[in-house]
Amino acid sequence: MLVSWHYKYRGSPMDQIDPRARWIFSFAFLVAATSTWNSSMLAVLFLIAVIWYSLGRTSWKETRRGWTLVLIMLFTMIVVNTIITGGGAGGVVPEGGQLVWPEGLRLFGKLLKPGLTVDRIWFALCQLMRIGGISMFFILIPYTMDSRSYGATFSKLGLPDKLAYTIELAIRFIPSLARSFSITLDAQRARAFELDDVKGGIVRKIGRIAPLIIPVTMNAILSSEDIANAMDLRGFGQRKRTWLFELKYHWWDYAVIAFGLLIVAVSLILVYGYKLGAFTVPPFFYQLFQ
Amino acid sequence: MTEPQVLPLVIRDLSFRYNSRGTPAIKNLNLELHSGEVLLLAGSSGCGKTTLMRCINGLIPEAYHGEMTGDILLYGESVRGNTLADISQNVGTLLQDPERQILGTYVLNEVCFGLESLGMERSEMIRRGEEALKRLNILHLRDKETFGTSGGEKQKVALAGVLAMQPKILLLDEPLASLDPASAHEALLAFRQLADEGLAVMIVEHRLEDVLAIHPERVVYMEDGEITYQGEPAGLSQVVDYHKIKLPAADVLARAKDAPETEFVPAVPPLDYSKPLIEFKEVGFRYHEDLPEVLHGVNLNVHAGEVIAILGHNGSGKTTLVKHALGLLKPTRGSVLLEGVESKSTTVAKAARTVGYVFQSPTQMLFAPTVQDELAFGPKNLGFDKETIQENVRWAIQSVHLEEELGTPPLALSFGQQKRVSIASVLSMRSRILMMDEPTAGQDYWNYQSFMDTILQMPGFDSIIFITHDLDLALTYANRIIVLFDGRIVADGTPQDVLKDTEQLLKWRLLPTSLLELNFRMFPQTGKFQRAEALARYIG
Repeated sequence: MLVSWHYKYRGSPMDQIDPRARWIFSFAFLVAATSTWNSSMLAVLFLIAVIWYSLGRTSWKETRRGWTLVLIMLFTMIVVNTIITGGGAGGVVPEGGQLVWPEGLRLFGKLLKPGLTVDRIWFALCQLMRIGGISMFFILIPYTMDSRSYGATFSKLGLPDKLAYTIELAIRFIPSLARSFSITLDAQRARAFELDDVKGGIVRKIGRIAPLIIPVTMNAILSSEDIANAMDLRGFGQRKRTWLFELKYHWWDYAVIAFGLLIVAVSLILVYGYKLGAFTVPPFFYQLFQ
Repeated sequence: MTEPQVLPLVIRDLSFRYNSRGTPAIKNLNLELHSGEVLLLAGSSGCGKTTLMRCINGLIPEAYHGEMTGDILLYGESVRGNTLADISQNVGTLLQDPERQILGTYVLNEVCFGLESLGMERSEMIRRGEEALKRLNILHLRDKETFGTSGGEKQKVALAGVLAMQPKILLLDEPLASLDPASAHEALLAFRQLADEGLAVMIVEHRLEDVLAIHPERVVYMEDGEITYQGEPAGLSQVVDYHKIKLPAADVLARAKDAPETEFVPAVPPLDYSKPLIEFKEVGFRYHEDLPEVLHGVNLNVHAGEVIAILGHNGSGKTTLVKHALGLLKPTRGSVLLEGVESKSTTVAKAARTVGYVFQSPTQMLFAPTVQDELAFGPKNLGFDKETIQENVRWAIQSVHLEEELGTPPLALSFGQQKRVSIASVLSMRSRILMMDEPTAGQDYWNYQSFMDTILQMPGFDSIIFITHDLDLALTYANRIIVLFDGRIVADGTPQDVLKDTEQLLKWRLLPTSLLELNFRMFPQTGKFQRAEALARYIG
């Protein structure tokens, strides 16, 4: 069955904002945050994200799954890719630079020569602010936006009905897939299959999780056919669609949209007009490692 | 002189062959459907009922491709060239599984989905949506999430979504398959009322007796893609094979008296109350701490020799209860012990050595490239040696009569065959306790009876537990019946004890059947509940 994210009305400030204004503001933030590596700009944007996130009044408990995923991604990108291997900083952080441990690092009696530079640490901090900020905007959506509004919102934003409803289905696909996965996992566990037992190389691992992946994939395919049939049987796509979910702009929605556009405009002017978008390390940070 | 009335639906010489098959699924069908009538379309699995429905509602040829000849006329106009969406304005279809039909996240949104597609004004949508909900007595669900509704409620919500579009023809494809008896009866009364208000209603259903209770005007019986009977409901009993279609018990009794069946004896060992196999002690359970409790203080022991049927209304907690026995769910209070070991201190994989659990939907578990591999999966996980695995696979596949399909990919089989493979894949683990969740749902009478006969006559099970909505299935096969109501066990005992009080049954949303009444009437002679074919031995 097609299910949706666990939304509940909290009476929070976020609940009062029109979903269209929220999507516009979120995408404006995304454009602004991805246009720059300037740490000051990213710090301001991060602060905006924190304030925005707090308007949703979500608890850690309800969003922890989403945050776990983001934290795994952040760990991989920042700790592994940027700090340990330096791969993620390529093209942004200049080669060479001041080493954090120029004399080497003694660990368990062994002298190591890590190539970690001060620039890469600062870059990791910038990445944290950028990805963390964007995540705050988008993690909030499933928990604080009424699932009934998805299709209507994108339609009212000017997208064709079919595309608007496709986006709604795409957003709801993730929790539906999770439910299907959970049922299949239970069915296979009942046949003494244990996920913890999946050991060995990558090919062996993939082979071992086939009992989960194949039924879930097959069900996703079958249910997409069911969804298409169910939509067709109720005349979907025949004429211009109307939406039951009512959307209404208030003055504060215009203010949110205006603020979003202002953020994009200021960011683009600073980046392309004043050339302030480049990655630079403030002098005080070098001094901290001297 | 008045003009002759144009019929809502006329089918002329209709044949259809799926591209993937060599022979036609339906052949030369001729049929008419009148306004204000209920037409019951009966027949065993694979006889072409669903194909006929798909031809009428336009899924054929739009979603299922093949070769079609003949014609379908809706109000005198051929449907050829019409889009599915065009047809949907006249023909409303309710699918067997409401979960496959519901698109909206909230009830009113679901009901208004079709109206949104028609581009209707919001106020008119709400009016028509609420009207459809009111008509089915579910207006109180208006602002509920569809996911949180029970199976019966989902079926009604899906129907409300169809009715809101105000179709003139209503096609119902096994609409009772997932409903408890009382919900099924309520749904049928709603269909009857719709027909009485002028709709043309066609119902495809295996639960013949239930549909006959609302007095359909006509019955069409199909076999091998052809119509073999079309006429009054009363005539059906005389022409169809009562082994294939479940007829009212009195009709079977009358017809079977010349060749009565012998008494069915299950192969479970004699009852042994010395040591329980499974113990539930004050079990309470909730899915999430924010959600209400779904099981309340359940106490229950399962012993060797018991064949237990678990009955209860949609959402009463039946599946939740049996999942505890295997440890798929752990109680939030109380304890569950499997052969003396608490479920919280063991793994599901270990419990699977003792308990085999067959899930409702086979597509959620089948994955292997061949049926052989599928059946070997469980025994391999249990660490059996090669010879034992081979022997178990052979035994399991013979049990479900699918020997010739060992090399076939399970996902290429029909739904009924997939269901049998999913059961065989649990049987091959040779668990001592077998649990089945709605093992016969959506299967025709012949298939479900032969399947249950086979399972219950298999040696090796200490106990068998099955969840069902089918009262006749419970009274025929079980020696103990447990009734769950709102998460509590409200009755537990022999079939004759639990099912004797009609008023109580109605309170539990169970409806007495003709077979139950017949069994009670003949109980002084028989001393045991039996199917109608076997009761025939006692007359004449």
